[in-house]
Amino acid sequence: MSLIKKAIDWGTKKSPWIIHFNAGACNGCDIETIDSLTPRYDLERVGILKQGSPRHADVLICTGAVTLQTRDRLIQIYEQMSDPKFVIAIGTCACTGGIFEDCYCVTGGIDSVIPVDVYIPGCAVRPEAIISAVDKLLGSLDNDKKEGGGNYES
Amino acid sequence: MIEFLKILCKLFIFPGFLFLSVYSFLLDFLDRKLYARMQNRVGPPWYQPLADFLKLIGKKTIIPADANAVIFSVMPLVSLAAVTVGFIYLPVLGKEAIFSFSGDFVIVLYLLAIPPLAAFLAGWYSRAVYSTIGATRILTQMFAYEVPLFISVLAPTLIAGTWSITELTGFYAAHPLYIFINLPVAITALISFQCKLERAPFDSPEAETEIVSGALVEYSGRLLAFFKLAHNCELLFVISLFSAIYLPFMTGIIWVDFILYIVKTLFILLLLILMRVTMARIEINNTLNFCWKYLAPVTLGQVILNLLLRGVL
Repeated sequence: MSLIKKAIDWGTKKSPWIIHFNAGACNGCDIETIDSLTPRYDLERVGILKQGSPRHADVLICTGAVTLQTRDRLIQIYEQMSDPKFVIAIGTCACTGGIFEDCYCVTGGIDSVIPVDVYIPGCAVRPEAIISAVDKLLGSLDNDKKEGGGNYES
Repeated sequence: MIEFLKILCKLFIFPGFLFLSVYSFLLDFLDRKLYARMQNRVGPPWYQPLADFLKLIGKKTIIPADANAVIFSVMPLVSLAAVTVGFIYLPVLGKEAIFSFSGDFVIVLYLLAIPPLAAFLAGWYSRAVYSTIGATRILTQMFAYEVPLFISVLAPTLIAGTWSITELTGFYAAHPLYIFINLPVAITALISFQCKLERAPFDSPEAETEIVSGALVEYSGRLLAFFKLAHNCELLFVISLFSAIYLPFMTGIIWVDFILYIVKTLFILLLLILMRVTMARIEINNTLNFCWKYLAPVTLGQVILNLLLRGVL
């Protein structure tokens, strides 16, 4: 692996920029997600910044079960992000569909629409769990490389 | 040959491009760190701007189908090039800039106007709703700050009687007390520079909470990295220009002057951060009102005062 590739991998691990998308959550997980960005938890010290535009972001943070209304928008936002990109499903509904599973207007968890890298169950998820998930996600980049890698560079 | 190598070294390594980018990363870090500390946060680690830059370099660049591909991909480089060329005429190591001629002031002011125009073109040709709004706001804001900025930067040249930045710095270094005459325009220049850099309270062109990130909303990957680098370099460029015009304290020993330069830039950065932390964003029409009602009259008064003083001094 060349030096430039190493430097870029290091940068990827040290500066995950996130974008938050509500795919049909009850707002409980959204409040906790925004909570983790407040000065109390201060995610900027590990390089996490909230971006408004999907083009700038690396990590898509999704909350809630995917409804038929948001399904196309979720795919569109996922397609707008540039590679390498990651998805974190926050909350039980985002992981499996939760109590909304088999509802007439719900397609299920986030992974029924787009590939998900990290699942965080909980109702609602605590900010500490979100920080831990992002940490695990960045750690998984190293593991991925050990196993031959390439999963995250599509 | 050795002269040639020396000039190349000056252009690309020490007071030139490499120094500019490395020091601007450092200033960006200090900006974010102090901003965080003043909000009672811990703030990012020292390598954060570098990590952001490397990450963006490694990401895939997407050019939207509706955008004009040539303008979309050239504008970040235009922005960076303008800032880098302008930095050549600013005194960093002692009183002397890398190059100077009589009238480089005008060149520097023109180059200073290019990064916002590049951002405007980039946003306009992205053909997205938010970027178009951001681009229009950038131009509107240019109408607000450009006149106060130009007059307040040119007012000190009336006393010095020169339009070369190196000679101007030399003149004020020889007469350090004269800089107190220019104190009102120093304040207006600081505010107009804040307006030019699109930092709070004048950050409505890139307001994340209302128009996502303004003109750069469609940018990704390498092109975004170069825009960010150009923006960081513009910060250092503006701060160096300010320190050359309004804080020209010199000792004459080159390395002491260089340390003085670092101290001066950090001090000006602190003032800019204080302005950013203590004030909330104001609307674009209020920016226009403020710049034309309060900044422009002060600078015009200073011009009259300096013309009168020129006869006396």
